[in-house]
Amino acid sequence: MSRNLTPAKIGLLVLIQLYTQGAVPNDGVVPVLDFLSSHVLGRDLTTPTSSPDDCWARVEGTIRLILSVRDFEQVLSPFAVADRLPGRRLWDRFLETLWSIDSLHALQEFIDRLPRLLAKSRDQLRKLAERGEEPPKGVLLSRNSPFGFFVRKCYLEFTRLQFDHAADLWKAFIKYRQPTAGYWRRRNPQHSRLSFDSVLMTGEHEWGDNTDEIAVVTYGNMLLGGDDGDASLVSSDDIESLLEMQVEAITRFGQRVPSQLKEKFDHLLKEGHSVPSLVHYLEFQDAYRAGDYTSTFNELHRYFDYTMQNRERPLSYQHALMNVAVVQSDLGCHKEALAMMLETIQTARENRDTVCLNFALNWLFHFGKSHPGLVRELESNSMLGSGKEMLSYLRVKAREMGLSVLCSSALIAEAKLGMANGESISAALENMVRSSQLIVEHNMTPMIGSQRLVTTSLWDRLGLASMSTMTCEVFLRCHATHSAFEDELKATSRLAGLLAGRGRYEEAFQKMEALGQNPLRSARASQYWHVYRGLLKLRRDLHRDNLEASDHLLLQLLQAGPECQDPDLVLIIDSIHIEALTRRGDFDAAFAKIERLIASLREDDRDINLRIRLLLSKVHLFDRIGRPEKGFTIAIRAASMAWRARLLSPLWQAIGAVAHILNALREFAAASRLLVAVIPRCLEADNSFTVGTLYSVLADAWVGQAGQRQGQQQALKRTEFLTRANEALDFAFQYFSAVEDAGKMGEALAKKATIMRAMGDYGRSEDYAAKYLALRREVVIRNG
Amino acid sequence: MGLSARDAVHLKEALQIAVVKCSERCLYQSAKWAAELLDALPDRADDELDEKPAGGYGNKYVHPAFFPSPDPEEAALEAKELNRYLLAKSFFDCKEFDRCAAVFLPESLLAGVLSKSADSTSPRGKGKASASLSAQSVLPKISQKSLFLALYAKVISGEKRKDEDSEMIMGPHDLGSVTNKQLLVVSRFLERWFSERKSDDGEMPATHGFLEYLYGMVLVKEKNDQTALEYLMQSVHLFPWNWGCWLEITNLISRVEQLNKIAPHMPQNIMSFIFHANTAVNLYQHGQDLAASLHDLLDIFPTSSFLLTCRALLNYHSKDLLAAEQDFSNLLALHPHRLDSLDHYSNILYVLNLRPKLAFLAHLCSSIDKFRPESCVVIGNYYSLLSLHEKAVQYFRRALTLDRSCLSAWTLMGHEYVELKNTHAAIESYRRAVDVNRRDYRAWYGLGQTYEVLEMHAYALWYYKKAAGLRPWDGKMWQAVGSCLQKMGRDRDGIKALKRALLADSYYDSTSSSFGSTGPIDRMAQMDPEVLLQIASMYDRLEEQEEAKAYMELCVAQEDGGAGLGADGAGLGDSVAIHHDSPGGVTSDAETEADKGGEGTGVTVATSRARMWLARYAMRTGDYATALRLATELCQDGVEVEEAKSLVREARSNLEPGGIGGS
Repeated sequence: MSRNLTPAKIGLLVLIQLYTQGAVPNDGVVPVLDFLSSHVLGRDLTTPTSSPDDCWARVEGTIRLILSVRDFEQVLSPFAVADRLPGRRLWDRFLETLWSIDSLHALQEFIDRLPRLLAKSRDQLRKLAERGEEPPKGVLLSRNSPFGFFVRKCYLEFTRLQFDHAADLWKAFIKYRQPTAGYWRRRNPQHSRLSFDSVLMTGEHEWGDNTDEIAVVTYGNMLLGGDDGDASLVSSDDIESLLEMQVEAITRFGQRVPSQLKEKFDHLLKEGHSVPSLVHYLEFQDAYRAGDYTSTFNELHRYFDYTMQNRERPLSYQHALMNVAVVQSDLGCHKEALAMMLETIQTARENRDTVCLNFALNWLFHFGKSHPGLVRELESNSMLGSGKEMLSYLRVKAREMGLSVLCSSALIAEAKLGMANGESISAALENMVRSSQLIVEHNMTPMIGSQRLVTTSLWDRLGLASMSTMTCEVFLRCHATHSAFEDELKATSRLAGLLAGRGRYEEAFQKMEALGQNPLRSARASQYWHVYRGLLKLRRDLHRDNLEASDHLLLQLLQAGPECQDPDLVLIIDSIHIEALTRRGDFDAAFAKIERLIASLREDDRDINLRIRLLLSKVHLFDRIGRPEKGFTIAIRAASMAWRARLLSPLWQAIGAVAHILNALREFAAASRLLVAVIPRCLEADNSFTVGTLYSVLADAWVGQAGQRQGQQQALKRTEFLTRANEALDFAFQYFSAVEDAGKMGEALAKKATIMRAMGDYGRSEDYAAKYLALRREVVIRNG
Repeated sequence: MGLSARDAVHLKEALQIAVVKCSERCLYQSAKWAAELLDALPDRADDELDEKPAGGYGNKYVHPAFFPSPDPEEAALEAKELNRYLLAKSFFDCKEFDRCAAVFLPESLLAGVLSKSADSTSPRGKGKASASLSAQSVLPKISQKSLFLALYAKVISGEKRKDEDSEMIMGPHDLGSVTNKQLLVVSRFLERWFSERKSDDGEMPATHGFLEYLYGMVLVKEKNDQTALEYLMQSVHLFPWNWGCWLEITNLISRVEQLNKIAPHMPQNIMSFIFHANTAVNLYQHGQDLAASLHDLLDIFPTSSFLLTCRALLNYHSKDLLAAEQDFSNLLALHPHRLDSLDHYSNILYVLNLRPKLAFLAHLCSSIDKFRPESCVVIGNYYSLLSLHEKAVQYFRRALTLDRSCLSAWTLMGHEYVELKNTHAAIESYRRAVDVNRRDYRAWYGLGQTYEVLEMHAYALWYYKKAAGLRPWDGKMWQAVGSCLQKMGRDRDGIKALKRALLADSYYDSTSSSFGSTGPIDRMAQMDPEVLLQIASMYDRLEEQEEAKAYMELCVAQEDGGAGLGADGAGLGDSVAIHHDSPGGVTSDAETEADKGGEGTGVTVATSRARMWLARYAMRTGDYATALRLATELCQDGVEVEEAKSLVREARSNLEPGGIGGS
């Protein structure tokens, strides 16, 4: 396999030559130049986007060009040739030049003529003038222009070739050109079987029947139709650049190589006979994305074995360790990953590799956040102190070193940490803005994803669902093409979650399904996708009281949960599990689980949001067992915690819970005052179920107040309260039906029927009762 | 020379036996050669000879090659040691030469042989070896076949080690002084063996001839040429079918006279005939007789690649390049896998400037085996033709690394170094070439050229003379000698040499046309104006004005093909002399010139200078009209116009008063 030159490159050279000769017509200039530059520079000029699909398309285009001459035909055949008689296509002209290279010597001459395409340097011009010759005319390529550089490089590479490699190139060229022979013969009647080599053709007169034998001796198996190893169409440079393109796409977008492309590339590799070490890296990445534990480590170690002593890409020990650690943690071997990363930090310190050290520390911080149990003993005696100090240390270091990526990610992490600890929102916002400024300044497109996601969760916490929806939408529309797929997936899931919260399940599912198929071949992404989709379904089933289906799903999710990378998802699964248990009436189990979770959260000092949620579900549990008063302190605590942390959406829930308890304590007026204040704010949060609950509690409060107005003189007042309660129930029913919560809908209907009866409107009461029964029937039928 | 059916059968059998015997002794090249020749023998219908085989019907299908040795004593020994022989043979085939030798001749025995003879030469040296018993050891009694194999393995192992010890080609330590250390042992051993055999009754009993060949070969390597020749002659008398032996003799012969001297002592058979032809070709002989004898041989072996090569080389040496090219081309078609002597083909293609074909040939060679010296030489030649001299040197070097005795590579590398202006390296390469083969005139000539560039004319003259001695009919050599002499100020000798060059050119013309070749060939069809000018200017310096004038006129006359001028080359204007030095006016495009046919060289620098001289001469002698005519011609030719114009003016001014006075 040659190092650089391939038949395809000769084709490109021929095309460049045609272009300089002015054979390309005006309307063909742009497509031809675009084609040339995309292959010469490896870059598309007309559409400079960089979405993953473009990347794959580019890789595929390069492979296609390397393997077949047909690509040229597609580009060239639509155009007429400019410097010949009309009726000839540019493709014919191209073939004419291609077939005029009719012997090894002709190839040599073709290459020798290449410098004539270049503009002369000043020295050369002077020498020409001295000799009294005219400087060359026509289109000349400047020496440092892309084409000029390409031409010079090809020329140099050819002169460097050993003879047998040049001969191999010639053979490969014949092979590459051969598919056009049929077409060329139709155009050129004198074309004969041996036209591919003029020496053979002229020799046929004297050699006679032995010509074939000589040809076979010279060209080997190639002529007999066999596969000839020497004449490979690819060069190692091609393979390497293809590999680099793929690795870049993989690491940047976190996708796997599409299987079709992978197949083609493997074919190319087989043809090339040589395996650069980067291939192992590519395979490692692929196995890693595919979640294939054994081959991942196999390939990773193989890659490091081949590159450890390599001069071109010096890879130090700590880098290798770091990679292994990251992979291990991603594949779920958290303990090993931790040990590896600690070793990395130690080695990096010894070797004074600050970049590596900073990355490792950053990683360790995030790791500690998601797996507090593992790092606990580490933190007590570490010099780094708590997470916050570590982050500020990292930030300062990163700024010193000028590592803007690390700096901005530290800022984001700090903002996240602040929010999780329930600290000042404005501080968190400040951090977000600073990181955003860094990102924009340095145009770090891959960082946008995580920054946007944290912003989304910030709006979520503030209960501004519309803002977070908008942020997600903006990210998906503008930035998703050049950021990692994982971010896109998370943003989409978030959007879907918000839709589901408003009860628009179908739309949510559509959003999830609309994600590309290829990216989902990556194991992690597809796991996340499946879990999230399962969660959405589960929530819907729970609302619909479809306990059997939800059980089924829940079991699966509980299995998949611990393997899942995102600890937040695990907690969501747990809370839904609690809800399911409560719905089924298994209060003991639910209570035990809540207690266990609260204990573990307190120990690990986890996100305050989750703790409040757990407290609220505990309150809810007390309510279900009919002793809401027991939850009073808990509800108050939850409310105050949420208030302090400005966690507005849990705050409204907590207030709802407090109001409910007040109802139970017969403090209806206080409860209704609280609720009336809270409900409008809660409506902003776009969570229909919570709003429905609040309305239903409000209805209870009104009814309670109506009950306190006894006697004739207050009949008017009572009717008014009852009407209000009825209205509130109407709203509650509306919101519950939005999320298709059968149980709550039924409850609302039943309450309405009771109110009607209390107001004396028996007819309507009967109506509601009938509706209620119909609903129950429907639920039973739907759930089988 | 026809061959009767019986003769043909005998020839066939003899060759078959030769192949078997040579392979038994691991003489691969000889075996290959014989087998090739055998293959070239046309098949005849077997009906012609239906005589019964000698050994009755039982032996009908046993070929004579497999009959036991006729010598009963040897046969008994061979039978006895068959096992060990087979072992040794397989070791040899696996290239474990020392192990092969040790099967029959343990190291201790060889050491004994060595130390004993050391004692006899220097009685003072009482080492440990002489104290040991082995000093008195007798030679082992083994068959000649096994002995040959063992000793031959020893020699080959020494050669291999020699190659391994040699430094990089032309590296700082590559002095060419590494020797084969096994030669001494083998030659001592054989010396004793022969003397023991002879000592019985002064008369040597008949041997198979192979040991003589081996001894001869070893002696050649020890530069003991005379004795070597004796033993080799003995060997070919005993067993004429060993081509390797004939080749050794060829290498020993450096002059035709020598060949003619030993010819009567040769056995009279077909091998000797082939040998004679081959040696003559190698000595750059040519002529009707040689061509005829090759023709006869080709009648017997019509497709023999070896003989075809000889014929091609013969054509090449007699400068009939097109015919040579044709021959090689046919050879290629007949034996497309054969690489031997394709390097000569590439030389021919080089001279003919057939670039695509040379590229194709290089590709073919590199496809067959890129690590053969021949392939490397072909590729090197191709690169040299493309003026990529560094690459060419690289490939010649590779050829030499593969085979240090590759003659043409040394010479061609010298040429490349000359092109690269590295005269030191060039001289060294040429010297190596000459050391390998003293008959290579191109290397001698190259040496002369290089020294001429360095302006060391005495050296250059020495080497040119050598080259001219090897090719006395090559005008180029004599011309070189002449101009060298001229530069040294020895005008008389120079004139002689150059006149000889003129003669040589015309000689070639007459011979090459006898082969009936036609077409545009780069050869000296006429007298070279350059040479003529040189002769004339030397005469001028010797102040022999008349001679000088005659040659100058002859030189000018070459412009129109020299027709009508009574010189040897006149009248043979069927092709054109194109001298590589001639600039501008004469194109180097042979075909366009040839189309005009029968024309002279046209105006060249040489003729213009001659004309200028003549004009000046005319001025001196007062022949103003002639001077005016010549000067005007010069103006027309556009060479040295200024000077010519002033001459014209001067001649006019001289003519005017004369003209007025005359009228």
